[in-house]
Amino acid sequence: MMDAGRHPRIELMTLSEVEEVNGYIGNFKVKVRKKARYVDEKECTACGDCADVCPVTYPDEYQVGLGTRKAVYIPFAQAVPSSYVINPENCLGSNPIACGKCAERCEKKCIDFDIQDEIVELEVGAIIVATGMDTYDPTEMDEYGYTRFQNVVTSLEFERLICAGGPTEGHFVRPGDMNRPKRIGFVQCVGSRMENRGNPYCSNICCMNTIKDSLLLKEHYPDTEIFVFYIDLRAFGKGFEDLLKRSREAGVNYIRGLPGSVMEDPETENLIVDVENTTAGRLEQYNLDMLVLSVGLEPRGDGDPLRQALNLSKTSDGFLLEAHPKLRPVDASTPGVFLAGCVESPKDVKDSVTQASAAVARASHILTSDKLTVEAITATIDKEKCTACGACAKVCPYGAIRWEKKTPAEVIEAMCAGCGTCAAECKFDAINIKHFSDEALMAQTESAVAENASERIVAFACNWCSYAGGDGAGTSRLQYPPNARIIRTMCSGRVDERFVLRAFELGAPIVLVSGCHFADCHYIDANRATQRRVDKLWDKLEKLGIRPERLQLEWISAAEGQKFATVMREIEKMRQRVTAEEIEHTIKVLKEDRGKQESKRKAKAKV
Amino acid sequence: MAEQDNFKCLRCGNEYSLPKPEKATMEERTCPKCRSNSVRKVG
Repeated sequence: MMDAGRHPRIELMTLSEVEEVNGYIGNFKVKVRKKARYVDEKECTACGDCADVCPVTYPDEYQVGLGTRKAVYIPFAQAVPSSYVINPENCLGSNPIACGKCAERCEKKCIDFDIQDEIVELEVGAIIVATGMDTYDPTEMDEYGYTRFQNVVTSLEFERLICAGGPTEGHFVRPGDMNRPKRIGFVQCVGSRMENRGNPYCSNICCMNTIKDSLLLKEHYPDTEIFVFYIDLRAFGKGFEDLLKRSREAGVNYIRGLPGSVMEDPETENLIVDVENTTAGRLEQYNLDMLVLSVGLEPRGDGDPLRQALNLSKTSDGFLLEAHPKLRPVDASTPGVFLAGCVESPKDVKDSVTQASAAVARASHILTSDKLTVEAITATIDKEKCTACGACAKVCPYGAIRWEKKTPAEVIEAMCAGCGTCAAECKFDAINIKHFSDEALMAQTESAVAENASERIVAFACNWCSYAGGDGAGTSRLQYPPNARIIRTMCSGRVDERFVLRAFELGAPIVLVSGCHFADCHYIDANRATQRRVDKLWDKLEKLGIRPERLQLEWISAAEGQKFATVMREIEKMRQRVTAEEIEHTIKVLKEDRGKQESKRKAKAKV
Repeated sequence: MAEQDNFKCLRCGNEYSLPKPEKATMEERTCPKCRSNSVRKVG
């Protein structure tokens, strides 16, 4: 961090928040609020005289509340810039000035209570999001007694207690009586791999963190007895298994089973821990001096405003979604934005550094290019046909359509990702998608039911998930009916209601629209438009006397080949129940409806 | 009693209700009986 702070071409903006992001790859305009520090960071020598006289004491966030700080403080010893800061919420002297002792004491006159927040506007070519994560708060897991017993601490609190820069300057003591604990337990997966509380995913780092902590304790205090309670240990990665082996050899006891209850001996403040040892097959009780809860990682609770400003998607667990899990793992869904570290998923230092290096390389590719290659598949607008209704701009997940009242819409090609939702939404055929034009998709629809229409299933599948799921079913040799005709679109949001109605009009018994699961949409949230469109279509079909059941909707991921095959088999059974009379009726009513619609359109055009 | 949304599965015909979500966000619909996503909001 020191190196970054000193680098002539890096401007480190600490105590700052991104408020607004406009523009697109290569041309982002970012509005940053640089919060008032009330201390001139260029003049401050971090002598600490101001903190010495400050009368206010608050829990130190860096020491997770185990130490205290003043209202004027330096967040931690190695903080960059090496300058004090005043927290206006804690300070007695900012507005109105009631104290001002720090300003009086500072010989260099660095403290100025009149400094205001500053809005800085930046023009940047690429953005890397590396906003990190939160740790799980184990308060809700009352069985571990975190809020009841002083000697139950989280892994982060333990880290501060054993650190030379911590509140006890590395003298390891337990909070209850400030004596050195000699029997310590670690509970793994606190808030991780849980369905009802906490989070269902594995937090990746906790096992290795505990193994590292156990070795550290054994090195400094060899007489310490250590017990690690776990579901299973995940020590994958270079050298990790070796570290686990060393920990076992050093005498750390690994017990397979999580504590069912933790009680405190009121006299000794020791913890009585009941555990079912699933290896030995018996209930065991441990008397421990201290219990460390190995808490999992969570997405940042305050990350949504930035995510929305950058138009990014998140996965079902709340971490930011990458553009492609295998081929573009550091790219965000918005072109020109990259992800690094735990903002994307829980990861250790090595993986974070690897991802950050890759993100920097990807970003520098943009910054060093004279020209950028944009998506080949983008939207184009026929200005003659555009009525300036703005429906396209409303559904575009990327904000890639510029539109003002009474002015034909315009696509910013560098921002367009080619999902095609705008084209499906446009009622005036004014938008087309390169390589996935209305004409091409309509021709594919018509050709799917050109022969033996009543035996066909017309399936629209999105490129990233459902089509890949179908591919997966094929390569896994899973059987599904051969009468399905699959039409690939980049996104399910591209499926225009006219394609569906045309398939029915030409005699298709069943139509399936299929896309990515909501959390996995590769076009931010374009598949929500699919759901809305299918909802409308169900209403329309019912109004026309056509069973809505004949239009099916499924969210199938690339990994769900099995689901794809199952859905297809179920839909085939539904197809067999559609009668010839039903199909004939459908053809008749849809032809009549189309006739009416065309007459209306012609009449409008005349007006 | 909290307001309810009614749904009908267009695969298996199962009809069910869920409490209205607090925020107007669109959630993925899945039939609790057959796991199909062809679930229509009715009523």
